[in-house]
Amino acid sequence: MDHAIDNPAGDGPDGQEPESDEAAGLRKIIHVDMDAFFASVEQRDHPELRGKPVAVGGAGGRGVVAAASYEARKFGVCSAMPSVTARRLCPGLVFVRHRFDVYKQVSQQIRAIFRHHTPLVEPLSLDEAYLDVTEDLHGIGSATRIAQMIRAAIREETGLTASAGVSYNKFLAKIASDQNKPDGLCVIRPGEGAAFVARLPVRRFHGVGPKGAEKMARLGIETGADLAAKDIAFLRAHFGSFADYLYRAARGVDLRPVRTNRIRKSVGGERTYREDISTGHALRAALDGIVDIVWDRIERAEARGRTVTLKMKYTDFRIVTRSRSLPRDVADKREFARIGHELLDNLLPLPLPIRLMGLTLSGLDRPGMPEEEAARDSAQLSLL
Amino acid sequence: MKATIERATLLRCLSHVQSVVERRNTIPILSNVLIEAADGGSLKVMATDLDLQVVENMAAASVESSGAITVSAHLLFDIARKLPEGSQVSLETAENRMTIKAGRSRFQLPTLPRDDFPVIVEGDLPTSFEIPAKTLAELIDRTRFAISTEETRYYLNGIFLHVSEEDKPVLKAAATDGHRLARFTIDQPDGAQGMPDVIVPRKAVAELRKLLEESLDGNVQVDLSASKIRFTLGGEGGVVLTSKLIDGTFPDYSRVIPTGNDKLLKLDPRSFYEGVDRVATIATEKTRAVKMGLDQDKVILSVTSPDNGTAAEEVPADYSAEGFEIGFNANYLKDILSQIDSDTVELHLADAGAPTLIRQDAGSPALYVLMPMRV
Repeated sequence: MDHAIDNPAGDGPDGQEPESDEAAGLRKIIHVDMDAFFASVEQRDHPELRGKPVAVGGAGGRGVVAAASYEARKFGVCSAMPSVTARRLCPGLVFVRHRFDVYKQVSQQIRAIFRHHTPLVEPLSLDEAYLDVTEDLHGIGSATRIAQMIRAAIREETGLTASAGVSYNKFLAKIASDQNKPDGLCVIRPGEGAAFVARLPVRRFHGVGPKGAEKMARLGIETGADLAAKDIAFLRAHFGSFADYLYRAARGVDLRPVRTNRIRKSVGGERTYREDISTGHALRAALDGIVDIVWDRIERAEARGRTVTLKMKYTDFRIVTRSRSLPRDVADKREFARIGHELLDNLLPLPLPIRLMGLTLSGLDRPGMPEEEAARDSAQLSLL
Repeated sequence: MKATIERATLLRCLSHVQSVVERRNTIPILSNVLIEAADGGSLKVMATDLDLQVVENMAAASVESSGAITVSAHLLFDIARKLPEGSQVSLETAENRMTIKAGRSRFQLPTLPRDDFPVIVEGDLPTSFEIPAKTLAELIDRTRFAISTEETRYYLNGIFLHVSEEDKPVLKAAATDGHRLARFTIDQPDGAQGMPDVIVPRKAVAELRKLLEESLDGNVQVDLSASKIRFTLGGEGGVVLTSKLIDGTFPDYSRVIPTGNDKLLKLDPRSFYEGVDRVATIATEKTRAVKMGLDQDKVILSVTSPDNGTAAEEVPADYSAEGFEIGFNANYLKDILSQIDSDTVELHLADAGAPTLIRQDAGSPALYVLMPMRV
């Protein structure tokens, strides 16, 4: 997945001092990431699109690219990019509407392949997941071999390609899967993690967006090695709560377990603007762009929630947030957009121009589970 | 291929197989049924979703030329449904098309070649036994309501079948969603000894139950391995359902069946069900909990809703242990009570936080365990 804008709801550190992974016992983690998933599904089902630059998403005036084929990426088209920009970069770009039902179905096929090897599967979205194969179900023993088998099975059963990263923790496995994309496999063996990360540009770290990378560049941090050279106090002073994560990541340490029942608390996104925005018209247009991107993420995560939060940062760096909760889950994109606009309208006219805007959906329940069922569940005692 | 068949026969057969076909398919041929006409005058119809396949044989009025082709299951079913009763339906293929004629109607549907139609490789199915269709239907009815729909615990998305040698050899079926558990025990059929533990997926259970409804008098032949199961039902021509099994480990459920619950409540399941149903009327979606106050020879059912007020009902019962209160999800309770086919039901309780055992009596083949709600 591309990170054109930062995700403030990413996995944070839990504040412990970093320890060696050996302390937690050496694990075998695979990160599997489908290659240009939505676009590849479209190319699979529509042979006439094969070999052509394809963008999944709305072609219209304010549409956003949800996914781009590798042919399109060569032109610089990437996900979360406004469709207008994408078309300018790549005049021959073919736009197709997304078909989430199909993607979800393929996603289930893929997850079934994962579960063939381990019950410890943590889906991050429709197209990527972490697997803990320390004790795989068929006693294969080699995580690399399992990753190869999974990639072969995905190709055979869905006609799509996936990239896989194999390592001893989630952070490294994810970095590895990105290394030889598309249709690639990369293994980071025990003992190689720190060296591997040291060479890496910080932009490749999960959670570091273009703005974050810019800020680090100003502080003289370009690579993992630069980051590792800074002490924790320095990182905390500059990156606040993000510091602990960076400190560990720079050392290739990540003790987070693969969680099969991970419940995301929120899904959101924000964007920092090159030019400050102040007029009502421009603000609304900016908000529409964010709605497109965030709703796309919500669909990918199969998330439902009832609280919408709007966040803005003024040019003097003051942050204002406003939120509204429904008694039930937000029904669809239109409602999500409407609430976002209501929150924005209540703040107009703004005292100062803004440099950042973000939207978050929170109060998430398990996918497909209505809120009242979740409430009931909390009182319902469990048998197993 | 050219064959003629009675509309009623075609419709009955298609109604059996078409529900296997998913409405939305990424692979076009999975939307189709395979129709195969043999020279002897029989017609075979087959549908699959890759995990589950159903094959049915029916007698054709005539087969003029044998052959096989695949065509949209839902279209053919809808057409057969709308054709006039008693009509003879002719199916003929030519050049990637299938022509369907009946009376004055004529349809042409696109086809896909039979060679592309996926067939589940059954492999060796070493365990074989027969079971009366009625028994199998009851086994399904008594357990399927407890099957989990939560996909994260996929190994609970089916009915678990396993054999056990206790006082006598038995076959047990169990299903649970983590809140309630249903178990049904029958005498071990000849040939089931030593069979692997298997989990039959929910969709296969549902399709099988539908097929059983029409042939409750006969026996069902069951053949299975650790990864596949096949059910062969009698009836005209016969229906064969083959399903992949869920590749997972069902939890050791025996440890959640309480054995030392010392508070015994006996009451009439019908008046209990109706009482629960009545007081639950005012339960809002958020609080579907029904509180049971147990007292000397009575149960007070009550629901308190912050929005809708309160409801209470006294149900006469047989109870002599010490009084206490316990809450249950009204729907879970009703699901179980509706399975009890007798004048009394036994609830074996321990306390408000412990699993409760529910059954007709000590000799009944069905047993239920229900976890309370905090109220």
